[in-house]
Order: sequence, then C-alpha cells, then structure tokens
Amino acid sequence: MNRDIFQAIADPTRRAIIALIALQAMTPNAIAENFHTTRQAVSKHLRILTECELVTQEHRGREIYYSLEIDKMKEIDEWLEQYRKIWETRYEQLDTLLTELKQKEKQERKI
Amino acid sequence: MKPAEASLPSETDVLVQRSFDAPAKLVWRAYMEPDLMRRWCGSTPGWSMPVCEMDMRVGGQYRWRWRSDENGQEFGFTGEVLEVVPHAKIVHTQIFDPGDLGVSMGGEPSIVTVTFQEADGMTNVATLIKYASKTDRDEAFATGMTEGMEMNYKRLDEELAVMKTRAPVV
Repeated sequence: MNRDIFQAIADPTRRAIIALIALQAMTPNAIAENFHTTRQAVSKHLRILTECELVTQEHRGREIYYSLEIDKMKEIDEWLEQYRKIWETRYEQLDTLLTELKQKEKQERKI
Repeated sequence: MKPAEASLPSETDVLVQRSFDAPAKLVWRAYMEPDLMRRWCGSTPGWSMPVCEMDMRVGGQYRWRWRSDENGQEFGFTGEVLEVVPHAKIVHTQIFDPGDLGVSMGGEPSIVTVTFQEADGMTNVATLIKYASKTDRDEAFATGMTEGMEMNYKRLDEELAVMKTRAPVV
C-alpha cells in the first residue's frame, strides 16, 4: 500500500482534478478554468499529485499535459473494496437478524 | 439491499454507509444489545466472539474480542461511550486490541460516530471512524484487522457462491 495516495485524495480540489483528468489529459490552465482558485493553487495540487505518482506529465510542444495514472487509482479502489467487503459481510448478517426481529414483533402484536 | 459504501472523506476519516430494511428502533437494538450484537458481529465463519460486553450508556465501556477457529489467535476492540441519542446516534472511542495477532497500533483511540436515519421504514446507518492521525488510519488497514480477516472472508465468499447456486436469492 502506498500511503501517499491517501494524501493525494484527501483534498476535495485534488479529487476534482482527478475526476477532470480521468476523462482526458489537460494543461494546468485548462484545469484551472474549472476552479475558483488561482492557477498557482492548481499547480500546487498538481505537484502533490505528481509526487504521489497519481498523475504523469507529458510535454507536447510548449504545453505540459497532465493525465491520470489509472493503475494507481486502482490501488485505492482495491484497498477500499477490501474494507467495504468486511463491512458488507457483517451487514448481511445484520439483515438476517433484522428480518427475524421484525417477524418477532409481528407475532407479538398478533398475541 | 444496496451494498455498503466506503469512502475517505478526509485524511483521518473513513465513512461506511448502508441502508437496512427495518425501522431505526430495531437497527438500534442490534447495536445496543450484546446478545443481538454477537449475532451479526460474531458470526463470521472461522471466527467466534468469546467476549462481547457492552454498557452502552454515556461513560460506559465495551469490549469485543474475536478468536480464530483455526489457530486460536485473538484480537478485539475496546472503548468508552461518549454520546447516546436513542434510535439516532451513538458516539464511542475505539482502541484496537491486537491480542496475539502480533500487530501493535498507535495508542490514541479513534472516535466512532454511528448515525441512524429512518425514512419510509428503511434505516440508513452511517459509520464515521475518525482516527487520531492519518498514519493511524492507514496503518489500521494495512495491518492486522484486514489481514487477519481476509482469509475468512475469502472462505465466506466461496460459501456464498455455493449458496447462490443452490437457492434463489430472496
């Protein structure tokens, strides 16, 4: 598990940036147009995302395009998915218990 | 039921949400009464729950402990109740007790807030776990808890797959 990934996705602006560049590679200017923050702030977020290896840079002419490293995102997904499964298994047992409790209540009302 | 959702709302938090087809007062009981709690938290295949003590009043303590059928290894959670709003909310501290799984974790307790919201006879349960630090949170998942249980969930997945082929899903 790469701990840095969690720092990358902890910030709401960074999550929004991730969502944007998941669709297509974008320049910092194009990304900044989608936010009310300064271009500098967006650059700072991009630097953190780059350091966490969640995004990669590609030079095209004078422009730098940022794109998402899908495989890195999958690491987070897998990690959360494992955690989610543990809860879901418990919750399925809770479903069974609740069905039973509801039936019991019904029977008691009849009596 | 729609499966549970897990997300990371901030650096130190984990949020798990799930809806249940029952009124809040029944779901509440399943969280408050040790005998009922044991039924859904202590029936994971491969694990027994030898300790399930709960005094769910403000200032009260709880102690949950699980034991592996396979090798007898144990781990658990303990904590203190901070806030109780009947049928709506419970807040408690939580400290991971590594038992003999051999994994030590940060000593600072996490804060667990469980909220129950009823609508149209369904109850949404949101569990927010706030760790003392980001490091604590990341470690909590990287270590014992998930590792120790993963094997068993795999086994459960297999069992569930078998059950699904045998019986129609109700």
